[in-house]
Amino acid sequence: MDAGVLLNWLANTPDFAVPYALAALGLIICERAGVLSLGAEGLMLVGALVGIGAQITLGQPAVSLVLAMLAASLVSMLFAVMVIWLRVNQVIAGLALVFFCQGLTALVGSLAEWTNHATGGIGTLALWPLSSLPGVGRLFEQNAMVWLTLPIFGAVAWFFARTATGLRLRAVGENPQAADAAGIRVAAWRFVAVLAGSALVGLAGAYISVVSTKLWIAGMTGGRGWIAVGLVIFARWSPWKALIGALLFGCIEALIPQLAAAGVQLPQYFVMMTPYAVTLGVMVWVALGKKRSGDDEPGALGQPYVREERR
Amino acid sequence: MADASLAAIAHPARTDMKTPEPVRTRQPLASRRYALEIRQHMAWRWQALVLAIALLVGLAISAAILVAAGVPADELANEFVMQTFLDGQNFRAVLFQAAPMILVGLAGAIAFRARFWNLGLEGQMVWGAIGATAVSMWQIGPENLRLPLMLVAAIGCGLLWVLGPAWLKLKLGVNEIISTLMLNYMAANFLLHLVYGSWKDPKDNFPYSPQFRAFERLPELGAGVGSAILLAGIVALLAWWLVGVSRVGLYLRFVDANPRVAHANGVPVRRTIYGAVLLSGAMAGLAGFAVAAGQEGRLTQAFYQGYGFSGILIAFLARNNPLAATVVALLVAALFVTGRSLQVFYQVPFSMVQLIQAVIVVCVASSDFFIRHRIRRLGADSAEAA
Repeated sequence: MDAGVLLNWLANTPDFAVPYALAALGLIICERAGVLSLGAEGLMLVGALVGIGAQITLGQPAVSLVLAMLAASLVSMLFAVMVIWLRVNQVIAGLALVFFCQGLTALVGSLAEWTNHATGGIGTLALWPLSSLPGVGRLFEQNAMVWLTLPIFGAVAWFFARTATGLRLRAVGENPQAADAAGIRVAAWRFVAVLAGSALVGLAGAYISVVSTKLWIAGMTGGRGWIAVGLVIFARWSPWKALIGALLFGCIEALIPQLAAAGVQLPQYFVMMTPYAVTLGVMVWVALGKKRSGDDEPGALGQPYVREERR
Repeated sequence: MADASLAAIAHPARTDMKTPEPVRTRQPLASRRYALEIRQHMAWRWQALVLAIALLVGLAISAAILVAAGVPADELANEFVMQTFLDGQNFRAVLFQAAPMILVGLAGAIAFRARFWNLGLEGQMVWGAIGATAVSMWQIGPENLRLPLMLVAAIGCGLLWVLGPAWLKLKLGVNEIISTLMLNYMAANFLLHLVYGSWKDPKDNFPYSPQFRAFERLPELGAGVGSAILLAGIVALLAWWLVGVSRVGLYLRFVDANPRVAHANGVPVRRTIYGAVLLSGAMAGLAGFAVAAGQEGRLTQAFYQGYGFSGILIAFLARNNPLAATVVALLVAALFVTGRSLQVFYQVPFSMVQLIQAVIVVCVASSDFFIRHRIRRLGADSAEAA
């Protein structure tokens, strides 16, 4: 592999990594508050559809992305009400959300005739002093969302590690009984966490449709939401590790077109399996390592908090 | 497990004790006037009522969505009830559709009974169909044994495809939700590799395998009803016997209630879980066989789509009961058939079927809250205490 291909590959990696990174970050916010959010795949579809719809009708990428975030939050309220107030099993509710969103987005997409309707994306933003470096300079010419992802990660990591509010949120996910006794309103915090996390998941979906592919196809997220769920386990619920994991997956996805362009003959459908196979491999690797590194899973992940129940 | 008296004091106690005023204002509005109690038991007829209301709400929402999507409101009842169940040809279509649906529903129910989230039903179905097609492609066995061999191959392939996640879960604690889903995507891509590649029918240009010969297809029972539905019925009865009558069923209930206590009492927990999960994979493989040999007569590229979710939905709505799953599967099959006719007559996208299923699941899952909890107004009580 010569330097040009390598450089191309690395330059394309962030574009593929951003959806994984944002979705995983959104899931981390939910899961740190103790809500197992399996609905990511569906919420990404909602974000992708609303993003492209807004892009087709309004043509303002920034507005489209924000609307997509709001839409994903709105749909996730259904999930939040189910798991937090009605105490539905979180796995069932998450699956129901995915199927609901898959059906809804496919329906709305085809009724509104947004399918395969190409739109303009967002421009690139060169990080000036670095982008003028010889050779590696083009690694720093990325679209604005790539650069925006970094401060979003910084903000969330800082929020969890350094603020009292972040500590409260983690307490709710770690031990809701204790948090409740300390006067933290478990249900309210979980609700907020689900809405905020889902907004990021929706943004991840909108990134795929508005920024990357610039069109809508039903079911276009292709399991990325599920991969993000696996990625969160891989990252042990830590934002920075999730970013590293997302870059890893971005690398793998970016490699596929590069190899094809370089004329390497590969069985196409086996190549398309790789992200899923890597996810599976990563899950096994994490499971093997879990015995050594201890368990940093939020203590009450997936359990509804029922104050009335005797423990 | 709180008993009723203990649960009852939870909320009123907070407001009624000699608490300073600020605490009262911190109480959320909803819990100030109402108390939530956990219900230990609800008479079955009330449970049935709650379920019926939930289904009605779900159907009402679905009807509203259908009307919004352009189906005339006065045609809905006609399309759903008259055309689907009372028209002979459409009812045969429902039975035709129901065979794989019953099998995936049973597959979901058996795995969920062992607390294993087998979301890989589609992948196992794909492999079942691939196994059956392989026997046909390579012409293994004599003609009169071909169909049974295809059936065995389908069962074996489905079973092997779920063996990995089962082993990973029980040995290493790998989350089976993710592993089974990832294997779905891999199976789907492998299917595409076959039907676009070496298994493609050389006769024409579509991505499917060559047509099965007549003796490789499930025969008709007569009157246009295929034997796939008979196969599904037999499997449903076997599953009912296994879950409801046999010792394994008892073990399963034990494992579902509390695996650790079950283990302490000498129940072979791991073997029970393995057995249930592998059986689930086998049934999903059989569903793939039912589609390939009973419906399509070949391996096609997207035959499995929608079955995975429907299987989970059927198992959930049937509370993992095999006989109930059979009934629910028939209804879901009717929904599929109706969905296709709506697609033809009113240009309603087929994704509507998935949306309706999801709406009904959401309603039924939410209705459980009213079975498990009691909402009591505090008006009189707190006035008395004050």
